[in-house]
Amino acid sequence: MAYDIQTWVSVAAYIGGGVAIGLGAVGAAIGEGYTAAFASSAISRSPNLSGEIFKSMLVGQAIAESASIFALVIAMILLFSDFSSQSSLMIFVPISAGLSMGFGAIGSGVGSGFPAGAACTGISRQPAMSARLTTNMLIGSAVCQTPAIFALVTSFILLFTNFSSSPVSPTWAAILGAGLASGLGAIGSGLGGGLVAGASCEGIARQPKSETTVTNVMLLGQAVTQTTAIYGLLVSFILLFKIFAPTDSIAAAMALLGAGISIGLGAIGPGIGEGFTAKSAVAAIAKNQKATGEITRVMLVGQAVSESTGIYSLVISLVLIFVI
Amino acid sequence: MEELGKIHQLIVPLFGHNMVFNLEVIFMTWIVIAILILFGIATTRKKSMLPGSLQVIGELFVAQLYDLTEDALDRKLAKTYAPLIFALFLFLVLGNWIGMVPHLGEPTKDLNTPLSLGLMGFVIAHYAGIKSKGFKAYAKEYFEPIFFMMPLNVIGELAKIVSISFRLFGNIMGGSIIILVVSHLTWSIVFPPFLNAFFGLFVGAIQAFVFTMLTVVYISVQVK
Repeated sequence: MAYDIQTWVSVAAYIGGGVAIGLGAVGAAIGEGYTAAFASSAISRSPNLSGEIFKSMLVGQAIAESASIFALVIAMILLFSDFSSQSSLMIFVPISAGLSMGFGAIGSGVGSGFPAGAACTGISRQPAMSARLTTNMLIGSAVCQTPAIFALVTSFILLFTNFSSSPVSPTWAAILGAGLASGLGAIGSGLGGGLVAGASCEGIARQPKSETTVTNVMLLGQAVTQTTAIYGLLVSFILLFKIFAPTDSIAAAMALLGAGISIGLGAIGPGIGEGFTAKSAVAAIAKNQKATGEITRVMLVGQAVSESTGIYSLVISLVLIFVI
Repeated sequence: MEELGKIHQLIVPLFGHNMVFNLEVIFMTWIVIAILILFGIATTRKKSMLPGSLQVIGELFVAQLYDLTEDALDRKLAKTYAPLIFALFLFLVLGNWIGMVPHLGEPTKDLNTPLSLGLMGFVIAHYAGIKSKGFKAYAKEYFEPIFFMMPLNVIGELAKIVSISFRLFGNIMGGSIIILVVSHLTWSIVFPPFLNAFFGLFVGAIQAFVFTMLTVVYISVQVK
């Protein structure tokens, strides 16, 4: 039974849609469950605050869920758009978009659960701070969503770029590589950013006076944590917008796929590791505000060292794209 | 949906090269600058000991941002760099918010704007570092902890430009695409105001703050 290209494009769109929301549902569900668990224990500690804690839990869960909603949007577009193309390249586009968004939503979904959980515990511990805690949680979770937004950007670019004039042979690998680079690259940073935001909510609840400093250091820590996700986005952009010479060699194509996998997987570890660093730094600053400058500097240096493995992956990706 | 990815460009041939201007970005940048200048004039026009409402707003901005700068740098440096930090933050905030007005677009949505601002911050940070430590001590830092770490340190420094600019660009661009696509899918019913509130107001303000704070911190890391 021989199928034409159009059939395969539809097949790919359905598979891509399934992958997008299937993987995309994982992270947010875990994060929201984590939040609810902490909200329950917080209510058991101070039952009279249950309304406040319940509200905070719902707000936190709503933000955590936005990663999944991004995945839902991509899945909907993949299912209901009309991908009419005679180029066999279009078979790879929906799958790559789905992989990018699906993997990309995991980290941010889980990560956003941490600050929400910590905020619920914090409200039960320090009811007077509940408004400030909720604000801090909102900021932390929103920054935590950034890696998922990067994955979303890559998916959208994949879906709305016209690849019909590109040569099929290396471009199919570039398309798949771009999706994997952004998608896998977002996992670690999403998780790490969540750890930092969680520590800051806990720190504010324990030491209300340290609020401004803790929020600032949290933002800084999260920003550095996201650097590797940005490398993933950068490699995706290069893969998508560089014009590759047509080739029949499978090796040249695989180099591009390898570039995406290299930075994608390589970004996971640094993201989580830098998250641990910044988490402890934020907790330490909440305890000892006087040492803020010193702790921040050590945090930045420690994160830079942790990030060096991500930079190795980036270098290998760039070598695979430009040298080989 | 058709307008997605379309850019109005002015291409000027010059000595065999083509100079490309993104007209829309230039217009939007100038609109932001004009509004900021008007805001500056309006807040400082009638200065008095008993401040009027506009003057209070202006003083509030300056005081808040100055405190932030002084926390990261010390008092002497804060005096030098605070005006830059105010200008950067106000430009970014207004630039990220202006997309909420129909027919206007964020200048930060184009990678050129964040990249040039990031490059500016990078150059200023290194200039401040050389000025405060002297070139020898500055150059020596690249060979720490061991001399063969030099290439990695250089890549790490250059990566800062990439990360700071792509973070802003990715967030603003992603937000604007989401608003466009979701509004299109729902025929602009109910959803757009909430999306604009989240991606425009909230994410825009946070990303402007993150960008500004990182620029300050990069300066302070180089100086100390």
